[in-house]
Amino acid sequence: MRSERARHNKIIFSGTVGAGKSTAINALSDIPPVSTEALASDDTAKLKKTTTVAMDYGVLNLPDGEKVMLYGTPGQERFSFMWDILSEGGIGLVLLINNANTDPLSDLKGYLGAFKDFIAGTAVTVGVTHMDRAEMPGLDAYRATLAELGHQPVPAVFRVDARSRDDVAMLVKALLYTLNPGLIDA
Amino acid sequence: MSRHTILPGQPLTALYLLHVGSMDARLIGLSVERHWKHSVHLASSLESGRVVLIDCDRPGVEAAFEQLAPHPRTGVVCYAFHPKDHAQRFPNRVILGKPLNLEALPGILAKAAAESARTIAAPPRRIAPAPDKHPVEAAQSIEAPPSHGQGLQTEDERDLCGVMEDLPAAPIGPLPERLFFNPNEYLIGHLQRAIEHAASNGRPHLIAGLPRLIGVRPLPVPACITDFRDNQLRPLSMAQLPPTTARLISASSLTNNGSETVSASEDFLWNVAAWAARGRLPEGTDPYKPVRLRAWPNFTKVFMSPHALRISALWVRTWASPVEIAARLGIPQRYVFSVFSSARFAGLLDSTPPVRPGAIPQPPVSTSASTPTRSAVAEPVTRQQPQRPSILSRILRKLLNAV
Ligand SMILES: Nc1nc2c(ncn2[C@@H]2O[C@H](COP(=O)(O)OP(=O)(O)OP(=O)(O)O)[C@@H](O)[C@H]2O)c(=O)[nH]1
Ligand SMILES: [Mg+2]
Repeated sequence: MRSERARHNKIIFSGTVGAGKSTAINALSDIPPVSTEALASDDTAKLKKTTTVAMDYGVLNLPDGEKVMLYGTPGQERFSFMWDILSEGGIGLVLLINNANTDPLSDLKGYLGAFKDFIAGTAVTVGVTHMDRAEMPGLDAYRATLAELGHQPVPAVFRVDARSRDDVAMLVKALLYTLNPGLIDA
Repeated sequence: MSRHTILPGQPLTALYLLHVGSMDARLIGLSVERHWKHSVHLASSLESGRVVLIDCDRPGVEAAFEQLAPHPRTGVVCYAFHPKDHAQRFPNRVILGKPLNLEALPGILAKAAAESARTIAAPPRRIAPAPDKHPVEAAQSIEAPPSHGQGLQTEDERDLCGVMEDLPAAPIGPLPERLFFNPNEYLIGHLQRAIEHAASNGRPHLIAGLPRLIGVRPLPVPACITDFRDNQLRPLSMAQLPPTTARLISASSLTNNGSETVSASEDFLWNVAAWAARGRLPEGTDPYKPVRLRAWPNFTKVFMSPHALRISALWVRTWASPVEIAARLGIPQRYVFSVFSSARFAGLLDSTPPVRPGAIPQPPVSTSASTPTRSAVAEPVTRQQPQRPSILSRILRKLLNAV
């Protein structure tokens, strides 16, 4: 089992292309986030103009001077080899799924599969983004998919706008309480 | 709404709505018409009123008080979301908390009118002399409802979970009546029926008879449509609605004119239930029976009572009674009751435990994420050592405190 020290104060943001990973890290980070955006090529270009090719990196500065890193994985699957490396030692996973994609529930399955081992040792919360543009599927469909895949208890699934700091912070708070409901919050 | 708090022998109180919003005016108008005919009548002018009602949260409240200057013998009853905040601005005023307790109001109005009528040559700005007993207290001692947001509020009451004291850890004797609310007396009851009807016949439904639109549609995902603003919906959800006020009608479609907000039914039900419950439980609930949350509520959209996140984190993975959850987290039960009531109406409550509760995986509940330990249902959740909060605690504090 990893010790708390090795568990490197790092929160991982992952999810589909254009789900809002870079935006979410930007909303939460205390520093202007570092991002390796590039002009999108191939299919991604149809979805959006820029895409993160390596990773996003943001920081939460804690009052005692300690830092929590916020890592965003590249959305494109051809970079998925980086996911394990990036998540190694992380506190937990925030998964963002773009509800306006063709089959967001199968996206969800894909990402849960890719992060299976990481989630088993930590925790995950799911932010469903772009629900203002696509209201289907609803949160219950996400919960059902999670339950089907054996995620018991069902992780927190929130409707999220990645541009809202409050929404993104809520995903992280739920992640922390999932790891330990006994946390003191005042 | 069946009991009227009027002092014996009180004449009809002439009430002038000096400074209230149109929705409150309609609700009060309806109450007068249907329930207070023998205690209150609405005056058409300030001159003919014996008592006036003032909403301190509405802009222009100073101007309203100016109008009162030539009427020192007219009683004044104010109300506000945070009465304490207004107490300094308007000393010696009766300031009730929102939502107005419609059962107690006629009594309070009558008393304020009577007190002021006795004022002889009072200085113009000091209309309501400090009575022996504060009219609010007086009315409450007659009415003695649980202090769910009514009257001069304490910090606790402001969090919309009331001030109910905890039940014993194990059932002893009958449960206090004021622990419970009857959903049928509130908007939540009507809303729940509307959603059930819509789901069963696949058509949108409207709750008619309210000052503004509340509609529900079953497809493509169950949703509630309203043009009440949030600050109107909350008091409406808290107020007791006579069953005859609202009627359910089936509609072929719900028109969107752009001013409505559309919410997932689950989120809407959660909020309307929380505001009706205010730390109480729906009638018929056994607070000692184990239940479980089948899922986390959508906390980016729904009302969050104190401790709601940790209550949810624990309750999605543990079959436990509301009383037990409060004990395990070391928090007042009313906060757990609030989550229970909302979850029940939002459809997020699982109340049929599996045959063997032990078969449910019990994930770690520990002081640190790095040392997960399995814990039994009854074991209290250990809190962080204050002198050495873990990294999780420190991140949480940062997220809670930072802007
Ligand atoms: N309408 C809407 N737009 C959103 C929402 N969440 C994020 N966005 C927008 O979606 C766009 C894509 O967001 P990004 O942060 O670039 O997405 P990403 O996940 O980093 O994408 P990749 O790096 O390509 O994998 C941005 O313009 C965001 O502002 C949402 O809930 N609704
Ligand atoms: Mg990106």
